[in-house]
Amino acid sequence: MREIGRLSLVLFIISGIAALLLGATNYVTKDVIAEQIRLENEKARMEVLGDAEEFQQLDEDLISAAAQSLGFDNLEVIEEVYEGISAGQAVGYTFKSVPRAYGGEITVLTGISIDGTVTGMRIVSHTETPGLGAKATDGSFMAQFENQSATSPLQVIKSGTPGQNEISAITGATITTEAIAQGVNYSIEMFNELNK
Amino acid sequence: MNFSKNLFNGIIPENPIFKLMLGLCPTLAVTTAAMNGLGMGLATMVVLVGSNVVISLIKKQIPDKIRIPAFIVIIASFVTIVGMLLKAYFPDLDKALGIFIPLIVVNCVILARAESFASKNDVLNSLADGIGMGLGFTLSLTILGSIRELFGAGSIFGISVFGGSFEPAIMMILPPGAFLTLGLLLGLLNKVSASK
Repeated sequence: MREIGRLSLVLFIISGIAALLLGATNYVTKDVIAEQIRLENEKARMEVLGDAEEFQQLDEDLISAAAQSLGFDNLEVIEEVYEGISAGQAVGYTFKSVPRAYGGEITVLTGISIDGTVTGMRIVSHTETPGLGAKATDGSFMAQFENQSATSPLQVIKSGTPGQNEISAITGATITTEAIAQGVNYSIEMFNELNK
Repeated sequence: MNFSKNLFNGIIPENPIFKLMLGLCPTLAVTTAAMNGLGMGLATMVVLVGSNVVISLIKKQIPDKIRIPAFIVIIASFVTIVGMLLKAYFPDLDKALGIFIPLIVVNCVILARAESFASKNDVLNSLADGIGMGLGFTLSLTILGSIRELFGAGSIFGISVFGGSFEPAIMMILPPGAFLTLGLLLGLLNKVSASK
């Protein structure tokens, strides 16, 4: 009995020290990481909606109400919507969606101009398999989404040359590709709802 | 004397992949390109060196019966702290290596070295073992990645080798290619060492 007590105590101390170190590291890095993510999001917004000079976040209640009326399965799939403004005029929107892919949630940023064209797509963060799903961050893959029309949803094709509103799947990562296309499609639906 | 012997031990005589056959799961998964192999190898090496040193330092304080849970707590904390620090202060490095970090927790090379080396040897030799094993792991993964990338995508480290007319064998960057390459390399190495 005494032995179990001693072993438990040692393991307890080791875990306690580990928890303390993890807590301290988290405390120190938390704000820095948040700032890095904010900067990255800002840069990504500029990339997907180049025409805009500044961005204004839309009210979250408005977004969740729109998600509800569109009947999304996951009401939080669109996390943030920013309105892009240039010379006092709205030129488009950026949508941050978090569809579920192979390795967890992917953060997909989609830019749609006010005339209904997808101006760009960026993967802000992901946890997909290196060499397969992680190829979604390649420029050539992301470029496929540019200049697609936001009038109808995008389709993923596994082979052949992609036509209008079609996206070629990444080899060996169809689930990832479909998740991203889904994120963009949610953004398209949200755009059409907001821009009615 | 011992230091360099222990350092060299992990690179060839007890190479973690080709001789000990440890850590094969992340190995097979990430070696789709030379760069991925190198990234995963280096990230693993950092954690391996760190965990070897820490475990060797406190080996006398850890009772034998609870050494495995203690090692796991230490390794997991190490990986998490390294991940947080990278995210906060080295965002570019995090972009390149971040996806490999969570894979390191489940890498049995690290637990195996903690168990069979660091818990029995002093700090300096454990450091040498960590560096050596890390280098051996990195080298093996880079070789595997280079071969698979060469045949599966026609390039090495992203630089095209065969030119545009080369039709890549996509299977090589998919899971079967990992098994084929590893099996053939192992067979070749065994043949070479048997004929000596």
